[in-house]
Amino acid sequence: MDCNRCDEEAIMHAAYSGAHLCTDHFRESVEKRVRRRVRRDDLVPHGVTPEDPLTWVIGLSGGKDSVVLTEILHETFAEDPRIELVGLTIHEGIEGYRDKSLEACVELTDDLGIRHEVVSYEEEFGVRMDDVVEDDPENMAACAYCGVFRRDLLSNYADELEADLLLTGHNLDDEAQTAMMNFLEGDVEQMAKHFDASLGPLSERDEQDEFVPRAKPLRDVPEKEVALYAHVNDLPAHITECPHSSEAYRGEIQQLLYGLEENHPGTRHSILSGYEELASIMSGEFSGDDGANLQDCAECGSTTTREVCRKCSLLESLV
Amino acid sequence: MRVTVDVKGEETHEIDLETVSAGSPNGGAGTGGSTPTYQELLAEIDLSPHEVSVLVDGRPVPEDQPVESDHVTVLRLIKGGSKPPIDRNR
Repeated sequence: MDCNRCDEEAIMHAAYSGAHLCTDHFRESVEKRVRRRVRRDDLVPHGVTPEDPLTWVIGLSGGKDSVVLTEILHETFAEDPRIELVGLTIHEGIEGYRDKSLEACVELTDDLGIRHEVVSYEEEFGVRMDDVVEDDPENMAACAYCGVFRRDLLSNYADELEADLLLTGHNLDDEAQTAMMNFLEGDVEQMAKHFDASLGPLSERDEQDEFVPRAKPLRDVPEKEVALYAHVNDLPAHITECPHSSEAYRGEIQQLLYGLEENHPGTRHSILSGYEELASIMSGEFSGDDGANLQDCAECGSTTTREVCRKCSLLESLV
Repeated sequence: MRVTVDVKGEETHEIDLETVSAGSPNGGAGTGGSTPTYQELLAEIDLSPHEVSVLVDGRPVPEDQPVESDHVTVLRLIKGGSKPPIDRNR
């Protein structure tokens, strides 16, 4: 089967668009979608100058998604003095697993010549995920603890590095799953928050001075294509699953979406596009509600809607 | 034709292509339904083309194409265990 755009042999088929693409045209297609998303989300505002460049911190786990995101952003902005990229890797204290992916991050950032920072739960909080899953004082899945700690470190270090933007490698499957979960949980307010935190164009978001804005430029690219891009570019992505990974509900939604996508190609795209439209409307509806409830955590001073933030209360129960 | 399907890191399956049902509505273009596609081969081992890549001689192949090789390698996508939705539970 030939590529739709040249005489080379196709390496992939995208059922949602009908396209068959060769290696080069597939690469080009992924890069184009990421750059288009960067433009549509207004990530580079007018008036940015090389004298006062923007700092973009990328959450770099060493998995395929963040490695591909870093590679494409580097390709796009390497020659642009208005954007400085910094890779931020978080070590959760998972024996064997994170050490390997950290190597992938070091290799990639060395290759690309971009700044790389590493922070760990152990140094920051005095805990390791391997021990947290053993203790499990709240009787929760590992990801529930880990997510709270990770969000806290990403936010704090994005602040510390004076980031203008925090970018993560969430792909189309990740975001379509989250959209479905918010729908099925009936969590309309969460949709508004999702828009203001990371989905909406920067110029349309409800102003949130307390947080570094986030962006997900890979969210138009299906997970499979992200993996394929890493494969054909021979990127140093780490390919082992986290040993504590256990998001049962998300897994159920993921299987549901695989089935829907097979029978109705394009389902993930339409879920996310409708969701973004709804989330935008909801953001207007809930505008200003969030700021009123924000306060400083009594323990660590970070911005939270509670008296003591979730991270501090989890750390308390772990001691 | 018997096809060896090597799911990396997991099992290896031997599948008789004659027994694979070809021409399913969304099983891919195929050759008018006579030869099963890679997608239909994956369905035999309960895998979706959205969670794996299929390689023949180390090269990715479009899953809607008819199976032409007697040995295929299947790479499962690895979930980033480190990507909970970052916008929740502030």
